[in-house]
Amino acid sequence: MKKIDKKVADAYFCARTWLVVICLFIGGLVSFGVVAFAERFAEFTIMGMPAHYYMGAQGAVVTFVILLFGNAIISDQIDKKFGIDEEHNTRVSSGKVLDH
Amino acid sequence: MDQQTIVSLLLILATFGLYIGISVYNRARATSDFYVASRGVPPFWNGMAIGGDWMSAASFIGMAGTVMILGYDGLAYIMGWTGGYLFLTFLLAPQLRKYGRYTVPEFIGDRFDSNAARLIAAIATIIISFTYIIGQLAGSGVVIGRILNIPSMYGTMIGVVVIAIYATLGGMKGITWTQVAQYMILIIAYIIPIVFMSLQVTNNPLPWLTYGNIVTQLGELDRELGISEYFAPFAESDKSQFIALMFTLMVGTAALPHVIVRFYTVTTMKAARWSGAWALVFIALLYLSAPAYAAFSRFILMTRVAGQPLDQLPAWTETWVNTGLLQLADTNGDGILQWSEIVISNDIVVMATPEIANLGVFVIGLVAAGAMAAALSTAGGLLITISSSFAHDIYYRLLKPDASDKKRLAAGRWAIVLATVVAGVVALNPPGVITQIVAWAFGLAGGTFFPVLLLGVWWKRCNKQGAIAGMLTGLTVTLTYIFLARSGITLFGIQDTGAGLIGVPINLLVTILVSKMTAAPSQKLQDEVVDLRYPEQMTYRDGEVWMDEGAGK
Repeated sequence: MKKIDKKVADAYFCARTWLVVICLFIGGLVSFGVVAFAERFAEFTIMGMPAHYYMGAQGAVVTFVILLFGNAIISDQIDKKFGIDEEHNTRVSSGKVLDH
Repeated sequence: MDQQTIVSLLLILATFGLYIGISVYNRARATSDFYVASRGVPPFWNGMAIGGDWMSAASFIGMAGTVMILGYDGLAYIMGWTGGYLFLTFLLAPQLRKYGRYTVPEFIGDRFDSNAARLIAAIATIIISFTYIIGQLAGSGVVIGRILNIPSMYGTMIGVVVIAIYATLGGMKGITWTQVAQYMILIIAYIIPIVFMSLQVTNNPLPWLTYGNIVTQLGELDRELGISEYFAPFAESDKSQFIALMFTLMVGTAALPHVIVRFYTVTTMKAARWSGAWALVFIALLYLSAPAYAAFSRFILMTRVAGQPLDQLPAWTETWVNTGLLQLADTNGDGILQWSEIVISNDIVVMATPEIANLGVFVIGLVAAGAMAAALSTAGGLLITISSSFAHDIYYRLLKPDASDKKRLAAGRWAIVLATVVAGVVALNPPGVITQIVAWAFGLAGGTFFPVLLLGVWWKRCNKQGAIAGMLTGLTVTLTYIFLARSGITLFGIQDTGAGLIGVPINLLVTILVSKMTAAPSQKLQDEVVDLRYPEQMTYRDGEVWMDEGAGK
């Protein structure tokens, strides 16, 4: 066990939290944002259908998938930067859970 | 029996055999197998199991029909049911996984150190899952009843027996792998018909790229008929209802106990994040296809069925008219069927379209097997959740903490059998419209659990008084609003299906205010919450963070 500087631990939490906030904001924009201004979006087309319909049927869902993979990949990089090792995580985790 | 019945029946029986085989092979031997599959499921396969768990009879049978009939307004379901995975994967799943418990009520009971909170959570879990499972059983009854031409009541009974067998045997470990198999069957069954329809209508095998033009053409057909365009926004409901419904479905998705528990089956927080990402890919495959299914079905109905003389309608119409789910009436008496004279139920679009488009006996049978897979996989996950609330949270954690492993496994198995039988009996005569009941389950799950789980993992000051008050007011307010809205009293045009937008903020406020007004939770509980900010290798203790660098380096 090695003690980590509080600043380093806070930086880890901060990086992860910003990632979450940004992803949720983008996710909100493509779903709730587009719905709120649906009439405006109806004026042009994407892939042959009105833009508001496209965003609801495909655009928003595809964006959600990209956000989730982006989050998983970037989080892994953050972990790596802070020296976290997944194999080690697995070992620690299996000892910590309440299996009863 | 005609040829179609035999082909459908053989396909369904083959898949049933597969599911039971998988659960016999993966029999649960220890309680940890039974509830969390020993926490060793790889993220990719867990994602696929979540896909099977998540996509219910309502998604498979009902969603394309809903989009077809509601037009743009039906897309609230598509965005809501996928967007919920953002809330779940970003805000709850990794933290709940690090906390490392078996069930959602167990997390709430231990995090707030309160058996009252545990009991409330267990009862709410049972209510929510029960509401949901009735829809699944009724759905499987419709499918079997339609194929065998028997009343859907007997179909429901057959479904109940099959589910009870394999859920009891395999527990979570068996369910995980049957759900993977069920996902594969349901997604193949869903995509094959739209690929064929896309080929028929546009000569292109990729429906996702081609249906845009069909949507625009549908708008033109609607304009000619003088009805509101297919894609016109908010033709069926207010914008506020659209947003409320979407929000309710999102928070409900993130707070459904049977979905959350799937994230307990992986190894680490990182694995939980990847599970969420894979899960949404597999779910998106079906949800991106549903609007295409809807567009092609409507196009075929409008161009090939509407405008035909009534006495020359294709043979498939008669069987569906007999079920009462399709109505064709020549209201203006000119002998020709107009589009406005076709009344079609949401629930038959997916099942009937392969017949309408003449795709052959094999595809029709495959769609039936896929619908059964969707109903059974969700029902299996729900049964494990109901069983664990009884056998683990109430029996073991509250009543008999000294029960042996063997006794607890037996209790879990009996709880599944009992829950299946009770749900089956209720589903013989389902109380009201199934899609609506499912939407209520989402409102209740979101209104009861979402704020408490969110604050429970992110805010260390949140205490048991806050959690209990929050869950009870959330549940009461959501239920009350559903009943008020049903009797015509609404706020801002939000209907009963959007009740989550009312319940969730009130629950959140009450939890925060009551927590603030009462004593802070113990230092140990607060430390455990701060610990959830970091990966497993880092541990938070007494205001300091420690890095485990032990052996292996």
